[in-house]
Amino acid sequence: MRVWVTLLLVGVGCGAFEFHPYELRGPHRDLHARSLERLFGAEPKQAFRFAVVGDMQLFLDDSAAAMRDLEQRGVDFVVQMGDLTEFGSTQEYEWGVELLSRLKVPFFVVMGNHDALGMGQKLYRRTFGPESFSFTYSGTRFVFFDSNSREYGFPGDIPNLQWLKTALAPEPAVLNTFTFSHVPPGNGDFDDALVAPLVKLQQRQGVAISFHGHVHQYHDVHAHDVRYVTTDSMKGRSYLWVDVDGTSVQVQRATF
Amino acid sequence: MAAHGSLRASLLAALLLAAREARPEPAHEASPWYVPDHAAMQFAGAIGFLSAGPGWSFLEDTVEAALLVGWAPPALAGEDFFTFTLKGHWRPFRLDAAGWTVRPLMVGAMLSYTVGDDYFADLPSRYDRGYYWFRTAIRPALLLGASAGRPVEALNLRFVEGYFELVATDYRLVQFVRNPSTVNIELFTLALGVKLRF
Repeated sequence: MRVWVTLLLVGVGCGAFEFHPYELRGPHRDLHARSLERLFGAEPKQAFRFAVVGDMQLFLDDSAAAMRDLEQRGVDFVVQMGDLTEFGSTQEYEWGVELLSRLKVPFFVVMGNHDALGMGQKLYRRTFGPESFSFTYSGTRFVFFDSNSREYGFPGDIPNLQWLKTALAPEPAVLNTFTFSHVPPGNGDFDDALVAPLVKLQQRQGVAISFHGHVHQYHDVHAHDVRYVTTDSMKGRSYLWVDVDGTSVQVQRATF
Repeated sequence: MAAHGSLRASLLAALLLAAREARPEPAHEASPWYVPDHAAMQFAGAIGFLSAGPGWSFLEDTVEAALLVGWAPPALAGEDFFTFTLKGHWRPFRLDAAGWTVRPLMVGAMLSYTVGDDYFADLPSRYDRGYYWFRTAIRPALLLGASAGRPVEALNLRFVEGYFELVATDYRLVQFVRNPSTVNIELFTLALGVKLRF
């Protein structure tokens, strides 16, 4: 009997059993807090490089190839632009985290519409932390928020411009500001009524680049003094890397 | 609508199949086809921490159907999960030895429905047609397993059977087909269960 109970417990520990596809279970918790600890635990770099990778969804093997490519080039941290998953299931969250963890550098994951399916919102918060968060690293401010308006039925506060206004408030030590959200403004899944206010807010607060995913196609445009850059999905086998040195910012598209 | 329609159609098909195949089964002559001849209880398998329900066997137990109600408690799954699952099994082989009956191969399929407002069976109106190609409340899966059992006269049961099942849910199958090296053996999770045949 004891043997069977032990085997069962080992099975539970190994993840051999699934109680439900959206179960809030598993080893990964509060990963953004851990990424920040790691980022600020090391000596801050005046010049640094981070990568921006697009929608992973059904392209996990392509994502694995991207991680191998990134490992060779070397980055200080990685931002994944949302749609880490296709179905929003717990197992897909784990696959996504496992892929990003291969790089041994801190990573941040934006909330995508697919990631919010089912129990996705709770899974996201459990795995990474709140959808809206920001930090300043070496004079550059990074602001992350949820722009999946359609997913929540266009409630009027997705994206949450009140929060964003506070997050983008002027600070003397900030040299550059980047924002990261999944659905780009102007896309049909972004609340139409909030496009103009968001664009205006980003312009007024001097956002340098607004990064997005969702459309699975690379775009790089200037609008109202702000650069809007959208990444390919991982299926497109490209990602961005961004070099920052003081006020100098360079975005390059890498293919693999 | 399409999802509801196909669910209804497959239920109907299963019932019709059951009705037709019940007739040549001599062991159940006394009771009509719709009276269950076994009860199943299962641990894990993507449909709850525990699930249980009635089952029907045909063609000398080589074809089986079961309807399970599953539950996963918040303490174990972080949230309450309630599911209804329709399962079908085909077990073509049978080995008898020392009072035991072993069914070394069981292939099957299931369709589970998760109850709750967080899941949709019909695409909500906020989405355009085809925005999502799957339904979060409805989960098809393929099953692969085996079982072994023997009569337990003390309990007045015709047969008590233990089984295991490898469960490949839709999202695991799709991800495996697209990404075999990332998904690998995580195509499957394991379910364990018991069937009591009366």
